[in-house]
Amino acid sequence: MEEEDHQKVSDLIKELVLRLLSQNPTSDSQPIDPNSTDFANSLRYAFRILSSRMTPSIAPDSAAIAESIKRRLATQGKSSEALTFADLYSKFASKTGPGSVNNKWAVLYLLKIIAHDKNSARTQLLDSSVLLPNLSDSRVSSRKQKGWENGVLLVSKDPENRREIAFREFVNFVKEENEVREEVLVRDVLYACQGIDGKYVKFDKTADGYVLSDLVKVPRATRIMVRKLCELGWLFRKVKGYISESMDRFPAEDVGTVGQAFCAALQDELSDYYKLLAVLEAQSMNPIPLVSEKVSSENYLSLRRLSVWFAEPMVKMRLMAVLVDKCRVLRGGAMAGAIHLHAQHGDPLVHEFMRRLLRRVCSPLFEMVRSWVLEGELEDIFAEFFVVGQPVKAESLWRDGYRLHAGMLPSFISQSLAQRILRTGKSINFLRVCCEDRGWADTATEAAAAAGTTTRRGSLGYGETDALESLVDEAAKRIDKHLLDVIHIQYKFKEHCLAIKRYLLLGQGDFVQYLMDIVGPELSEPANTISTFKLAGLLETAIRSSNAQYDDPDILDRLRVKMMPHGTGDRGWDVFSLEYDARVPLDTVFTESVMARYLKIFNFLWKLRRVEHGLIGAWKTMKPNCITSHSFTKLQQAVKLQLLSTLRRCQVLWVDMNHFVTNLQYYIMFEVLEVSWSNFLSEMEVAKDLDDLLAAHEKYLHSIVEKSLLGERSQTLCKSLFVLFDLILRFRSHADRLYEGIHELQARTMESSLPSRDKSKSRRQLGDKSSDPGSWIGEGRKALTQRAGEFLRNMGLDLDAIAKEYSSLLEGFISQLPVQQHVDLKFLLFRLDFTEFYTRSGPSL
Amino acid sequence: MDPEAAQKARESLELAFQMSNILDTGLDRHTLSVLIALCDLGLNPESLAAVVKELPTHTHPTQQQQQQQHRNTDS
Repeated sequence: MEEEDHQKVSDLIKELVLRLLSQNPTSDSQPIDPNSTDFANSLRYAFRILSSRMTPSIAPDSAAIAESIKRRLATQGKSSEALTFADLYSKFASKTGPGSVNNKWAVLYLLKIIAHDKNSARTQLLDSSVLLPNLSDSRVSSRKQKGWENGVLLVSKDPENRREIAFREFVNFVKEENEVREEVLVRDVLYACQGIDGKYVKFDKTADGYVLSDLVKVPRATRIMVRKLCELGWLFRKVKGYISESMDRFPAEDVGTVGQAFCAALQDELSDYYKLLAVLEAQSMNPIPLVSEKVSSENYLSLRRLSVWFAEPMVKMRLMAVLVDKCRVLRGGAMAGAIHLHAQHGDPLVHEFMRRLLRRVCSPLFEMVRSWVLEGELEDIFAEFFVVGQPVKAESLWRDGYRLHAGMLPSFISQSLAQRILRTGKSINFLRVCCEDRGWADTATEAAAAAGTTTRRGSLGYGETDALESLVDEAAKRIDKHLLDVIHIQYKFKEHCLAIKRYLLLGQGDFVQYLMDIVGPELSEPANTISTFKLAGLLETAIRSSNAQYDDPDILDRLRVKMMPHGTGDRGWDVFSLEYDARVPLDTVFTESVMARYLKIFNFLWKLRRVEHGLIGAWKTMKPNCITSHSFTKLQQAVKLQLLSTLRRCQVLWVDMNHFVTNLQYYIMFEVLEVSWSNFLSEMEVAKDLDDLLAAHEKYLHSIVEKSLLGERSQTLCKSLFVLFDLILRFRSHADRLYEGIHELQARTMESSLPSRDKSKSRRQLGDKSSDPGSWIGEGRKALTQRAGEFLRNMGLDLDAIAKEYSSLLEGFISQLPVQQHVDLKFLLFRLDFTEFYTRSGPSL
Repeated sequence: MDPEAAQKARESLELAFQMSNILDTGLDRHTLSVLIALCDLGLNPESLAAVVKELPTHTHPTQQQQQQQHRNTDS
């Protein structure tokens, strides 16, 4: 069969060659001799051509070929013929079975190519006129050349047709205008888009762009088109410049990790861009796949096609250039935030592109967050993270050790999330450094498992802010709980607070009483003669003799006596204070300034206690006893009256002062201290982390200071209060003196009224005790009375003076109370003045 | 060939010939029939088209030479 086929083929080819040669119009009248050498040559040539290409380069789809033929006919303006052709083809295609053509597509294709070849053989046009139908200069002449023998004679168009002439003229015009061929321009544009200067298109520094030199003659439209396409080159140049600049700065460690990630992402995008350009360049070399060799068909790539291809890369490149401009001076989180702002775009192409970019750019940041939140590690060489650490001592680690750097905070991380992140890492560091606790490491893995990510690197990315938030939340929850557990259980925070309240804020009443009793006489000495050591011993005694001895020894250990720095005139009372030593980690809460405030409150409370103590002491001496009552019977009436009135005045004044001091004491102890303490306790229960605890403690102290008149607003009131205290103490000494004098008086009167047999006994008794033997002994009753009268009168005057001063001061104090803004002070006023005694008696109110 | 097949073949050839006229290929019936037969046998239509294009021009110079030779010998 094959042999047969071959023979058939060769026969047919011979036949073909014969026919073709006989068609040759330039042959002279010599008949073609099948055996001539010419014929043999031709035959050999034909065979050569036929064997060179065995497979066609297009798909054997007859319908497609028919379509293209139709289209070509239509574009050539022969629409009626196109319809006829369609008709014929449909008839042709419908013939199947024996006797019909099997490879219909081959036939069609053959016809198409032959027709095309015939057409193009007539054209001599330049490639730049691709938009126009192929114009033929010599269409008319070639028609004359053909000698149609058997074919239908096609009627040609009128050669004088104006349309044809116009086309011809236009072609000439275009030929003149275009010095440069389009494909050269296309190639130049492609070079420009990679940043390389082409033959005609060069980068112009003054114009800051790729321009086609004015000397080159191209039509204006082409020039504009080239210029538009070269915008891509300009953008590319900018982006590439930024990348190479950044890479130069790498060794100088000027560019951070985020910057590096950004450069890497840009380079990836650019490599995609290069791929596109490579494909386009390859295309620009290829003509449209019509495989006849000699035809120089239009190149596939024209400027117009290029502008279509460049539409998408132009958008992306523009985005990249904008980002590059924005990020030239930024680093770290600020850069990520700026890029994120640009990602808020509706166009899905832009959105997708930015998302890809941002994912790469933010990965170092997310990594830093992850390691900070789960391990407390700050790996930040280039200062790009928004948590900044400072080397500080252990006690201020919590407050000052780490803080947020707002400039580096990217905009997709909200402020509250950033606070939580900061607190979590701070807690881990705090636990590690101050509490020497290792239990937090498990919480990290737990948190990660709970949040669904792992503790490995690189598991979080941009666009997963929710995942980040949940991770941070889980970690924060666990770490905070752990920290609070450690603080409360291991370091007994609540116990220490209570101890401070009991000792520094004088909550332990019996202890304070003992202390004051013991330490009181010591403190009356001038300050520089008192030894701290002795006081410490006295403190120990006081602790042991009160209920305080049953307290935790660790707590008692921390309680100490402190003498404040004093001047020469100070008494011990002014400089004495107690101190509580809070060690790490509790000194985060009880810092220096906090302890100073406690000290201030202690001083005030101590003073108040002292005054109370003094008054109670005066009360002890004022109790009526038989000696006093005896004296009433012996003395003269006048003296007796004086004595009575003085005593009475003294007692009245005492009651007044006592009322004031008691109510003030009550107010301070219960309304201020206890209430604040219970508030603080309840807040401690609900506190979720150390920051909350610190805030609660602040509030507690602040309320105490404000309500006990130690705050800024109550300065004047405080001063008047202290003056009152001084006055009360003076009264106490007066009362003491008065009663001393009365006792002496009695002793004298008793002695003189005793029967003589006891006189000597009592004198001897008195002789031991009396400090001044000379003044009273041996005087008569009259002298005694006189002396008594004088003494009592003096005391009476003093007491009057004190009473007046006291009442005026008290009035002043009470009048100032309502002016204070704090609402609790009204309660103090109410207590002090519940019968409105002072307001009614005072003229100024 | 049975008459039906022959009929069909004739019609197909007619159609093909009309199509080739519309396309202005300049082929006559006989050449076209040969070409169709060759296509049917599986030859590459591209190379056939190349033959059709090349052959007349290929022989042209040799013919010219021949003519010249003739002229030379004549004179």
